[in-house]
Amino acid sequence: MNQAPATLGLRCQLKQPVALDLHLQIRGFTVLLGVSGAGKTSLLQAIAGLLPARVSPFGDLPVEQRPIGYLPQGYALFPHLRAWENVAFPLPRSARRHTEALALLQRVGLKELAERFPSELSGGQKQRVALARALARKPQLLLLDEPTSALDMATRDEVLDELIQEVHAFGIPLLAVSHDPHLAMLADHMAILREGRIIQEGPPVEVFARPQHQATAHLLGFRNFLSGRIEAQENAILRIAGAGWQLQAESSSALPVGSPVQLTWRAEDLFLEEKSGLPCPNRLLVRVRAGRAEGLSTRIYLEGPAPLEMLLSRQQAEAAQITPGSSLKVCIQPRHLQILVA
Amino acid sequence: MLGVDLCVARVDGAVVWGLRIWDEPVQKMTSWGGRKRPDGTAWLGPILAAGVFVFLLAPFAALFFATDWADFHFAQGDMGAIRTSLLYSGLAVLLAVLAGTPLAWWLARGQWRGKWLLDALLMLPLLTPPLALGILLSSFYGPYSPVGSVFSQAGIYLTNTAPAFILAQIYGAMPYYIIAARAAFEGVPRDLEQISRTLGRNRLQTFWGVTLPLARIGLSAGVALAWVRAMGEFGIVLIVAYFPQGIPVKLWVNLQDIGLDAVYPLLWIFFLVAVPLPLWIGLRARRQTQALF
Repeated sequence: MNQAPATLGLRCQLKQPVALDLHLQIRGFTVLLGVSGAGKTSLLQAIAGLLPARVSPFGDLPVEQRPIGYLPQGYALFPHLRAWENVAFPLPRSARRHTEALALLQRVGLKELAERFPSELSGGQKQRVALARALARKPQLLLLDEPTSALDMATRDEVLDELIQEVHAFGIPLLAVSHDPHLAMLADHMAILREGRIIQEGPPVEVFARPQHQATAHLLGFRNFLSGRIEAQENAILRIAGAGWQLQAESSSALPVGSPVQLTWRAEDLFLEEKSGLPCPNRLLVRVRAGRAEGLSTRIYLEGPAPLEMLLSRQQAEAAQITPGSSLKVCIQPRHLQILVA
Repeated sequence: MLGVDLCVARVDGAVVWGLRIWDEPVQKMTSWGGRKRPDGTAWLGPILAAGVFVFLLAPFAALFFATDWADFHFAQGDMGAIRTSLLYSGLAVLLAVLAGTPLAWWLARGQWRGKWLLDALLMLPLLTPPLALGILLSSFYGPYSPVGSVFSQAGIYLTNTAPAFILAQIYGAMPYYIIAARAAFEGVPRDLEQISRTLGRNRLQTFWGVTLPLARIGLSAGVALAWVRAMGEFGIVLIVAYFPQGIPVKLWVNLQDIGLDAVYPLLWIFFLVAVPLPLWIGLRARRQTQALF
């Protein structure tokens, strides 16, 4: 079981409470991204057998016989059982039960907390106890529902790193559903769920670099979208224009002149022309609508050919003295523009 | 807003049962320059609470002084009444729990159309005055009724016998137990039961391993409630099973035949056997919930 990444082809058809029909490759640590209400939790429950659905593999088995470890949101540890008793719950009654549970707790680094009740554990510790409990059944597939939702920002990355290491060490394919693109960045494989279907899947590097649909781009944190048409193509540079704007984008694929496309880019990739000193092949004239401090950055809402967002560092924002109503010239590098086929 | 309801509820981590009087604070936006409530009436709450407290407990204190401790003796037959009450109430509670638990679970977990009707019908024995229920029972189980005659052919007489006594107590106690147990089962998070299934436990194993342990505090409260109801049942028992006399009927008989002074010793015993169990369960529940949540 130790050759990585472990893979599994999954198929699921569900009618209630959300209509789903999807094929999904699970390779090692796989993250399925979707907005709230897209049916992520329902999908996991259907795979686990808690919702009536057509699922393969394991679909013909009753819930208690499916070799699946399911970690719901909040982890659902039994509050009346100690940590080791939670882990021992799926183990058959025998003299070795206690020893086996402690060995599993040791693997997730929590042996010294074995006597604690769940209410005495932190969010990350609960997650690891739940993982040990799920692993006690020797599952062939692990399901995680929003594994980052119950963790605070400070410990989140640490807990996730550990979780991923453990999952790789155990060599079991894992499907995590989430709306958190940061989680997807850590995955071996990722997929995007929208309206009951997978609209894009692949390695995170690829999906993040080349979102194919607006929904994907939006989930991955892209906030700027402009619709236009291809005017010309010179080598790898596409010239795209709309009402009152023209931008250049890098693209390896050839698209016919005149075809409608949508451009998208991250708020971080927009910069102020005057302050940067960088060449500005793509310029947009915009008006400042509002600004909002966002941690150490400032998010600036702009009115241009479409509503746009720009994320500046606090120092940049303070130096530029941006006030609502003022006009700005903003730039975007051609390589930062993504082309979505409309 | 003030309201009163009958329930088993979790308050500050402890499970309380019985009549709950709730006071929903009316939230007002006072931070935008509105008037804050003056603190001059802060003494009113404690004074009112103390008044109600004294009102409720004064009769119990009075019993202490009214009792003739120098001449504390039981009337003839009191011991038999105590035995009857303890033994048959125990049996009645046991039967009510055995029969009521599956029904309570079914009502808590089942989802089907028309469930509200069952819920409403279940309230019927609870809301019927005991005396009226007693009359219903004697006409339904009495010797001249079809049901009563079936039983009497089997050698079971359901008037003025031990089975009749237990039957009356079950009717008095079981609805309370079912309502408490149902609330207890509803309080068990469903996702914990689901997780148990995904961990390889079937429905029955999940019920024993997860549902029952997590509902046990509310279930104990239900048992205590049923115990008090069964012990204290007077109206139904009076009609259906005047004999064998338990404590409540014997108290009434003593009151009629001998007078007020003669009932105090038995009254003390009544309190001693009826109250400690619920009190003990309540304290245990409080400790356990504090450990759990």
